[in-house]
Amino acid sequence: MKPENEKYNKVLDLLRKSKPDLDSTDDIEREVIKRIERVNHSRLSLSDVIDFLFGWVYIQWVRRSLIAASIALVLVFVYQQSVILKRIDYLSRQTIVNERENGSAPADEVEKMLMVYRNSGRRFPTKNITISERQMKELIESVNELQLKYKDLENLIEGDPELKEMIEKKLIENNHTKINL
Amino acid sequence: MKRKSIKLGLALILMLIVSCNEPETVVTDYVHPDGSVTRKIEMKSIEGDVKKRFNVSDIQVPFDSTWIFRDSVEYDKKGDETWVRRAEKQFKSIDEINLAYKSDSGANKVTSRHASFKKRFKWFTSEFRFSERIEKELSYGYPVKGFLNNEELLYFYSPEDLKTNKEKGPDSLKFRALSDSVKRKTDIWTAKNMVSEWIGEFAKLTESKADRNISLQSLKSREDDFVTLIEKEDKKLDSLWKNGILLREFIGDANALKYKSEADSALSIVTNKLLIKFSDYSVRIVMPGKLIGTNGFIDRGQVLLWPVKSDYFMTEPYEMWAESKTPNTWAWIVSGFFLAFVLTGVIVRIIKKG
Repeated sequence: MKPENEKYNKVLDLLRKSKPDLDSTDDIEREVIKRIERVNHSRLSLSDVIDFLFGWVYIQWVRRSLIAASIALVLVFVYQQSVILKRIDYLSRQTIVNERENGSAPADEVEKMLMVYRNSGRRFPTKNITISERQMKELIESVNELQLKYKDLENLIEGDPELKEMIEKKLIENNHTKINL
Repeated sequence: MKRKSIKLGLALILMLIVSCNEPETVVTDYVHPDGSVTRKIEMKSIEGDVKKRFNVSDIQVPFDSTWIFRDSVEYDKKGDETWVRRAEKQFKSIDEINLAYKSDSGANKVTSRHASFKKRFKWFTSEFRFSERIEKELSYGYPVKGFLNNEELLYFYSPEDLKTNKEKGPDSLKFRALSDSVKRKTDIWTAKNMVSEWIGEFAKLTESKADRNISLQSLKSREDDFVTLIEKEDKKLDSLWKNGILLREFIGDANALKYKSEADSALSIVTNKLLIKFSDYSVRIVMPGKLIGTNGFIDRGQVLLWPVKSDYFMTEPYEMWAESKTPNTWAWIVSGFFLAFVLTGVIVRIIKKG
């Protein structure tokens, strides 16, 4: 046992004499303390969470890309909303219809048909002839006569301011009542 | 009395030529975000004979036995009865509507109509566009906007109720003057279209003739003269055409003799095109979400309205369109979180740096 003990003591002395050459003892000390602390407090701290979530802020290209994307998103939002608001504003100025439109053809359209009929040398497409030529001629004459009388009446009204005012007043009064022609 | 008879005559013509047994029809398209459309039709008829009432061939839009409908009768103050048919059908897509238009056997089967639907994703919102389009009838006509100013155009495309209300309202004289002006100008427009179309058709019919010595250009260059002549001789046109005087004036004595039959055929084609068998109706569209654009008339409930008349698609396609948007809630939430995340990151960095 004696020689073995001697050998052991010799190795121990040798190791004690040849200490490692440490150049950052403070770092090792801090790491050791940190590990000890970690062992003692195993739960996550707020700082760790923040470091984990926002670690990207220390990487320049990621940080810049995300900021650029955010600005782009805001700009797109502002642009889209301004376009939509402008269009809605334009719509609000468009004509509002209060009453329901029905499908009936107005008298104007019949007059238009009559004009085409007259201009086309008094011919209707064969499929549409449902009244006699005589009836049509009578109708055209009546319409022509009516138009002449209407023009005369218009001239008469235009030439007499008092009459014009009276008719205007009457029309306003009869706003919602049918005018008997 | 005379006026009453004229009015009666107009009503008679209206019934014989325009209306026949066609009901007053309003079509309402309820557009859904997935592109499906619920189409509702309301038809009103005063026809007493049940066999003549609501015939498929008289209805202005495609309608068949696959529709769910219900009939009712309404009485006005005078006790006159009006028959009402309310029909509804769900179209899974626009293609189904277009297919129905293609196989239409109704009153307006001669017109080419089709619908379209587009959905665009724009991150914060989704935008929808729905349109119904009727193709033009004339090949050589002029757009009406070349003849009317903006105010007149608005009046021209206005629903009849709106016109009537304006003509009876406080500014009645102004609107009657506007109405007259629109009528006068659209008469010129119709005459010009007629001449232009006749020239086009006549040139087409004679182009294969070996000894043809009148060109489309030469006829076109005299178009305004023809229109003036037609307007001037309005009441005598019938006899002038029949005697060949008008044609001689148009293309010269020799050509008038040579091309009489082609000229008559061209006139016949033009008349058929201008007096197209079309029954007016109204289209209403209800879009999903908030309405952001349309070329129609809007009522207080954001329902859109378009009158459909043959004049509107005579020389250019008539498109009834509407655009709307719905917000993408999830995109707003994602964007909010993203912005908050980036902003917090920037603040954290500033604090740590400080």
